[in-house]
Amino acid sequence: MTLKRSLLVLAVVAVLAVLPYLVSESMTNAAIQMLIAALFASAFSLLCGQAGMLSFGHAAYFGLGSFAAVHAMNAFNGEGLLPTPLIPLAGAGIGLLAGIGAGWFSTKRAGVYFAMITLALAELLHALAPHLKDTFGGEAGISSFRMAAWGFDFGSTIQVYYLVLAWVVGSILLLYLLTLTPFGRLTLGLRENTHRLRFLGYNTHALGTAVFTISAMFAGIAGSLQAVNIEAANYVVFDAGISTTVVLNSFIGGVGTFFGPAIGAAVMTFFGHVTSDMTRTWLLYQGLIFVLVMMFLPRGIVGEAAEWLKNRKSRHLAIGPLFFRLAGLVLIAFGAIAAIELAQRFFSSDYKATVSLGNWPPVTFLGREWLPFAATTWIVPLALLGAGVALTLIVNRHTAKAAGEA
Amino acid sequence: MDQILFALLNGAIYGLLLFMVSAGLTLIFGMMGVLNFAHASFYMLGAYLAYTLQPLTGFWLAIILAPLIVAGLGILVERVILRRVHAYGHAHELLVTFGLSVVIAEIIKIFYGNFPVEYRVPAELQFSAFEIGGGSYPFYRLFMGGVALMMFALLYLMLTRTRIGIVVRSAIYRPRMVEALGHNVPMVFMGVFGVGAFLAGLAGAVAGAFYTTNPNMALELGVMVFVVVVVGGLGSLGGAMIASLLIGVVTSLAVGVKVSIASLLDFIGLGDLARDVGGIFVLELSSVAATLPFFLMLLVLLARPSGLLGEKE
Repeated sequence: MTLKRSLLVLAVVAVLAVLPYLVSESMTNAAIQMLIAALFASAFSLLCGQAGMLSFGHAAYFGLGSFAAVHAMNAFNGEGLLPTPLIPLAGAGIGLLAGIGAGWFSTKRAGVYFAMITLALAELLHALAPHLKDTFGGEAGISSFRMAAWGFDFGSTIQVYYLVLAWVVGSILLLYLLTLTPFGRLTLGLRENTHRLRFLGYNTHALGTAVFTISAMFAGIAGSLQAVNIEAANYVVFDAGISTTVVLNSFIGGVGTFFGPAIGAAVMTFFGHVTSDMTRTWLLYQGLIFVLVMMFLPRGIVGEAAEWLKNRKSRHLAIGPLFFRLAGLVLIAFGAIAAIELAQRFFSSDYKATVSLGNWPPVTFLGREWLPFAATTWIVPLALLGAGVALTLIVNRHTAKAAGEA
Repeated sequence: MDQILFALLNGAIYGLLLFMVSAGLTLIFGMMGVLNFAHASFYMLGAYLAYTLQPLTGFWLAIILAPLIVAGLGILVERVILRRVHAYGHAHELLVTFGLSVVIAEIIKIFYGNFPVEYRVPAELQFSAFEIGGGSYPFYRLFMGGVALMMFALLYLMLTRTRIGIVVRSAIYRPRMVEALGHNVPMVFMGVFGVGAFLAGLAGAVAGAFYTTNPNMALELGVMVFVVVVVGGLGSLGGAMIASLLIGVVTSLAVGVKVSIASLLDFIGLGDLARDVGGIFVLELSSVAATLPFFLMLLVLLARPSGLLGEKE
């Protein structure tokens, strides 16, 4: 890591360290979730970004970590072997064990097979968990309490925040140091050319299992931090939605860079938190952003930004096209959001309940009333969308022409 | 005995349905190397579209039109999205289709709500086909099996007996050579993608009326389809057929079996000990029937990692 980057990372950690004194309690809560999501995404992308093995079932290890933490909290009452600050060790342990088992199976195959096996293993756990009431608490789940330990009572959000921060920063640091070791280099080799590694005499199956295990272990830590934060665990943590979210977040950030997934996850979690009052379809936006990023920014947002910064000296920045592209993007975004939100409101079951015979009441969106059959209701979003697409296409044609003449 | 017969029939028909979806998936993978994660979403779209069209056009037209619309959407996805990301590699294509499956599920939730819709078998098809020992067998199940079988017959004949079939099969192995011989390979790819989407959509339109039509159906079936292709061997139609039937029959037979690990341990005298431990030892097979395919998959991975009929990597 260059000096500049180290300083940047230190600055970020410093800001995180004083954050609870700068923002409200609800924002501190959001920050806890962002940190957990960032660690989960970093653990995921050790497997996916560095070793090139795409897992669609990482919720399994996150969830197991959650349950391990809750059971450990109930068993030790914050004393003895595992006082509250060390609870995530339970998640790490169970993640490690599950990772050895699942990793051994799934790394028997590579590529798409690997992806399908991880998904199937996670779904197996998801299907099995509600039946095992003693372990996973059935539909209700298991709850617990954070006990005081080491002179902290862990009753306030701030103390939980610092506990989570310490674990997340420590874990991400360990994950980063791992990339510097020979083992970390071999992990990259696994992604680039498995055959060659095998020719060189490495046991690629064992190597893959080891990478999988480490990734599952850190996912377990993230899961147990979540359990410490909400003081409960429910079999819903095994839901495919959790696995989906970590894939989307990591790739939106960009798995080619070390910090990309963490930044992507933190930012997306932040927006999810902020918009949770405004929209019920955050996952749709996440999916749309993901598809667009995959199509137009294949390295992810952080990855493309890093690439651009690296080449900025050799490339001259065209302010004009950039401005028009951004304007087009904003228009498209506004049009799409308006269309989605209006459709969501008109098709919701709440709205259907208010509709009586021949009477279609308006819905409120952005402080304005919109009637379902008024032309403006649908023309405004579609016009915005159309204008954005048209602007982007015109700019693209223009720059292509300019490049052709030059 | 009758119950076993019923379970076998149910299982075989569910297996045929699984095959209808996995056939398209495995064909597309064999040709283009793309694992289409959104394939099960086409199945879901078929069910929802047929549900929407049914009041307007009647049941029969709906189950024909819905798969055609789904095929159109599939072609659009291939042309507009997949072709664009093709340059970035297969992992990228898989990820994009994964994102699409999320988007499709969320859009369905917006328009139809996050709960099952009332998509029912039409009244004229609700009669029993035959009776055995007091139990009657619904005709609609046989109808689903019949549709699936007819589709396979058509697909098989088309692939083995027509000129198009020869081009498609050769494009799987030597796309460049086929292109050099003057065939439009991208067009063939698009066509196969469309046919795959059509099959999935048809399966959804037909099966959605019998099973439930809800926003989770794509994920539930999708996972099963992945298990099928891992067990059968990705890219192999025959393997997919065997694996689908196997999984269908095993799951449906297991629902009637009240055996737990503890009761098996009774034979060696450890049953009570296991019952004291509880948890996984006292779970009856019938309640975890849905998880059996996963164990089957793990077994196949152990014994034959490339799948039943898959080629060695």
